[in-house]
Order: sequence, then structure tokens, then C-alpha cells
Amino acid sequence: MRKSRKQSTHVPLFILGGVILFILSNFIEELRVLQGTTIAVYVIAISSIILLTGYSGQVSLGHGALMAVGAYAAALLRFEFNCPVVVCFIAAVLVAAVGGLLLGLAAARLSGPYLAGTTLALAIGLPSLANQFSFLGGEQGLEFRVGPPDIQADAAVEPLTYLGKVLLILSKLRTTLATGAWPDASPVDTYKWWFWIAALAALISIWCVRNILNSSYGRSWRAGRGNEVAAQLAGINTARSKVLAFTISAGIAGLAGALLAMTIGTVSPSAFPLALSFSLLTGAVLAGITTLGGVIIGAVVLVAIPEIADVVAHRLGASESVTTNLPGLIVSGLLIVTVLFVPNGPVEQHRARKARHEAAHNSTKK
Amino acid sequence: MQLLNTLLIGITAGSIYSLMAIAFVLVWRSTRVVNFAQAGMALLSTYFGYEAVSRFGSFWIALPVAMIGGALFAALVELVLMRLLVKHASSGPIAGVAPIIATLGLLGVIKSAITIIWGGQDQRIVAPISNNGFTVNGSTLVFSPLKLFILVVVVILLIILSILFQKTNLGLALRASAHAPEIARLSGIKVDAVRTLGWALAGAAGAVAGLFQTVNGNGNLSPDSSEFSLLLVSGFIAAVIGGLDSLLGAVLGGLFLGIAISFVLMYVSSGLFFIAPFVILLLVLFIRPQGIIGVKVGRRA
Repeated sequence: MRKSRKQSTHVPLFILGGVILFILSNFIEELRVLQGTTIAVYVIAISSIILLTGYSGQVSLGHGALMAVGAYAAALLRFEFNCPVVVCFIAAVLVAAVGGLLLGLAAARLSGPYLAGTTLALAIGLPSLANQFSFLGGEQGLEFRVGPPDIQADAAVEPLTYLGKVLLILSKLRTTLATGAWPDASPVDTYKWWFWIAALAALISIWCVRNILNSSYGRSWRAGRGNEVAAQLAGINTARSKVLAFTISAGIAGLAGALLAMTIGTVSPSAFPLALSFSLLTGAVLAGITTLGGVIIGAVVLVAIPEIADVVAHRLGASESVTTNLPGLIVSGLLIVTVLFVPNGPVEQHRARKARHEAAHNSTKK
Repeated sequence: MQLLNTLLIGITAGSIYSLMAIAFVLVWRSTRVVNFAQAGMALLSTYFGYEAVSRFGSFWIALPVAMIGGALFAALVELVLMRLLVKHASSGPIAGVAPIIATLGLLGVIKSAITIIWGGQDQRIVAPISNNGFTVNGSTLVFSPLKLFILVVVVILLIILSILFQKTNLGLALRASAHAPEIARLSGIKVDAVRTLGWALAGAAGAVAGLFQTVNGNGNLSPDSSEFSLLLVSGFIAAVIGGLDSLLGAVLGGLFLGIAISFVLMYVSSGLFFIAPFVILLLVLFIRPQGIIGVKVGRRA
């Protein structure tokens, strides 16, 4: 009993994961590195959906819009004030969390389809707001450039920042891995830089989400999802815990939005379409809406589907319109099939089957 | 004059939203699901109508073709998707969100399928009647013969629907299955068949809404049309304003929403096209969450 209360936070495991990702990033080709970045972005975004929908039981179709909020916050700081990248990402989390707080206050009074419809209206409505204010850059959007600092030039002209020093060591380490010698200087290409940022952000977010879900907050969300009245009887303020879930989830989504904007290079309304919100939901359902561990499955599938669809379309010799629309068709089709036949996700399904199997095994032994 | 114009535009748009809201209400009453694919189904039916126009060259054939096509497709969805959903995903943590996710998936499938079949470019449906405004006392109104025609058709459809629901045995079965499915089943009503019928009626109503939304706009039809996003959001909001359970409420909600949006666009800013409905929805949910006509029970679904 005592052991379950003080669960390990798995810090070494996450550090090990980071090291493995870093080493891996040096051995794969450029296109795969960029896909890795996209996977990391999806991992973050999907974990925010799992926290909100799987644990707190609230459906949001507006997470694409919350991602846009985070992305615009980061891009504005970078564009107008030339803030450091880290500050931009933190701002993205905070601003999106404030947006989530406002939405959550409304959401706590709604449930099921009402909440879904309200957030859907937001997802459709919010991006169009960018055209209303000229400082948001209209249809073209804002530029959001995040490139690796130019180490050699910077080192000569001005002292390196803390981040720059870490980067310098990392990039030298990378060359060492490739050639076996410790170099004096080493350039870093942009894709790899993005991947490092995104992977680090993903590891930190997953670590945070995991530990929040295992804390008393996570338990109160699950209690409220299962039976709201019972949770209230147990002394949980369900309305407050719902708003909290929405706020945290929105902050994480904001981070994902800023990272997505980083890989695109600009922030514009068209980067956050309704389809993005739907994809995230698909990813979360594929991951298993209540299993954080499955999040990587959802993210990989979302990135892999366009590739697979491309191959299939070419193999079939399909026309242009089929090729461009097949991924959307597969994503949506997969969403329906998963909800119908594997509603709790593959991980949970496997676990349940294993548990059943073991139970049967134990009973025959007796 | 501007006031009158704004009002008439609002009423016409509102009557289309009413039809869409009725589609939402019919589905909600029959299966307790908010069908987010409703706009996708309306879009598909409108493409059926477009096919009919280009084959036979007449809008008068397109209207019934779209309605019948929409009704059949909706019935098919209920028979295949919804029954499987009830069978497989009605327990566990996903039960509450499964119908929402499934209908959203359906929306995506329909949109992609339409783009593959008809292509992503704009198709045109030419309105059968002039959309040039009436002239009164030398000045031209925005209100046109086409808008009058839309209003008249919507009113006729509403009358037919209310006769169906209030005066026929079928309507009684529909109402009974909505309010007390168990008791309805005990008294010999085939509740499952009635549910399918509810979806079919919704499909037909959505088809008319889609076709009218297209010709009332610029006549262009495309899978990513913002007209249909607006139709989805507005229909849902109108249904919520009306309490989601009441046909009369849906009509009033649609008219209210249409007029309110029309006034906001005219007197505040024409760029608030998508934000205005969202703000109105939030206001309604905060001030009167049970809808105009809804009975006061919490919004738990």
C-alpha cells in the first residue's frame, strides 16, 4: 500500500530515453529526422487529448485552435521582440493555458455533445479571427524562425549562451560518434536541431503528464469521469478538477502548436485546420484513449498513414485526386473502425486479454 | 430600408438553419446522438442534387433526388454504423465519447470520398429562380424571388413534418420511441425501424438545407466549402438554442440565430462570420442552458 502511494517518477528512464533518441538522431537520414520531429509534436498533442478526454472525460474538438493560440503567442514574441526560443515556448504554454482556463470554465458547465459542439464551433471560428487583426498577419500569417545558433560565428563575436554551450558539446559529440575523433567545431543542421528541441519537449511533457495522471489530480479526474456524484460525495470538487484538466491540457496543446509552427516556419490560420483537431482525436483513440503508454502508437500511425497511402496509391496507379485524399480517408476510416471494434485501444485490449488469459490459467491450476 | 433588408436576409438564412437544426433534433430524438456528420451528409446529398441537375438539367428534379438520396444514405448509416456502435462501444470509459468520435470519423470519410469522386474544385448549381432583389417604390431590396421560394418551401416542409408528427400513427410511434423506448417496444412499436426512419427524415431535411445553402450563397459547391462548416455549426447551435429535443424549438432557434448573425454582420463587422455563432452559443449556454423550450434538466447526456 505504502509503495503504491510513493510511486517512482522514472526520471532515469526518461533521461535514458533522451540519450537513445539523441544517438539515434545521428544515424538516420534527414527526412526521417523531420518525421521524428512531427512524431514528437503529435506525441505531445495526443497526450494532451488523452489527459482531457481519457482521464477527465471531456471531449474537445478545439485542440487545433488551442495549438494555434500557443503558436501565435510564440511567433509574436519571436517576431516582435526577438525573444529567445525557450521563452517563446514557455509563453506558448502559458497563453494557451489561459485560453484553456477560459474555455474550461465554460466547459465545466457542459457535457458530452454540448461540449463537443462548442469546441467544434471554436475550432472553426478561431482561426478566422487571425484575419481580423492585422498584427496577426492575416492569411499569410507570421514568420516563426527557429534555427540552430551559428556556433562558430557566435563563439568568435560574443560569449555563448548556456544553451549554445550545451549545443556545442552535443554537436561535437555527434561528430565523435560518426568519425571517432573529437573535433574543434561542428555545424548542426536545422532539422536535427528541431528534432532535439521537439524530442526534449516531448520527453518533458510525457514525464509531466504521466506524473500528473498518477497523482491525486489524476485520481480525482478518473473518479469524476466514472461517477460524478460519487466523486462529489468523496469530497472532490468536480467542477474545479475539470477546469484544471482543461487548463493543463490546453497548455500542453499550446506547446505542441508552437513546435508545429517551428517545423512549418510560419504561423497561419491554414496550418491549424479542423482536420488537425480530428487527426489528434484519431491518434488518441488509436493510442487508447485512457492509455498514455500508447501515445507513441497514435503518433507514429498519424505520420505513417500519408506515407503508406502514397505507396498504395502509386502501386494502384491512382489519379491525383485519389492520391491527395487517400490519407484523409484512411485516417477517418481508421477512427470509425477503432471506435467500433477496439474502443479502448490496442494496448488496453491486449492488457485485458492477457489478464483474462492469466485468470483462466490460474483457475485451472487450482 | 437597411433594417428591413437585414431582417429578411436573416429570416431566409435562419429558415435554412432551422432545417439543419431539425435534422439534428430528429437524430437526437431517435438515437440520443448528436450527429456531427450531419453537414457531411447534407454535402453528399447536395452532390446528388448536382448530379441530377447536370444529368437532367432541372433543379426541380434535383430537389427530390437530393432528398431521397440523403434519406437513404442516412438510413444506411443508422443501420450499419449506429447499430454496431450500440453493440460494441456502449460501456467503458469511451462510451460517452464514442458516438461523437464515430460521427466525426464519418464526416471525414464523406468529405474525402466526395473529393475523390467529384474532385476538389468548385462545381456550380444554378438557382432556378432569380436571386435579384424585388424592387419596392423604386429601391431594390436584397430579398429576392429565390429567397421567397426558399422560405415558402421550408414552411411547406415544416407543415408536412408537423402533420406527420401530430396527426399520424407513424408520428405517434416516432414520439413514443423518443420519449420511452422500452414502453414503446412493449406496445408493439418496432423501435429500431422507427429509429432508422428518424435518421432518414433527418437526412432528407439536411439535404434540402444543403441544397438551399448552396443556391442561396454563390451557387458554388466544393468539399471544403465554408458554407457547409457554417451550416454544421449553425444547425447545431440552433438546435441547442431550441433545447435539442424540440422541433418547434429548432425552428425558433434557427430563425433567432439567422436574424442575430445577420444583424451582427451588418452592424458590427462583416468579418465575424464564424465567431458570431460561437459567441451566441456561449451566451445561450450560460444564460439559458436548457434552451428556449427545453424542460429544466441538467445538460447531462
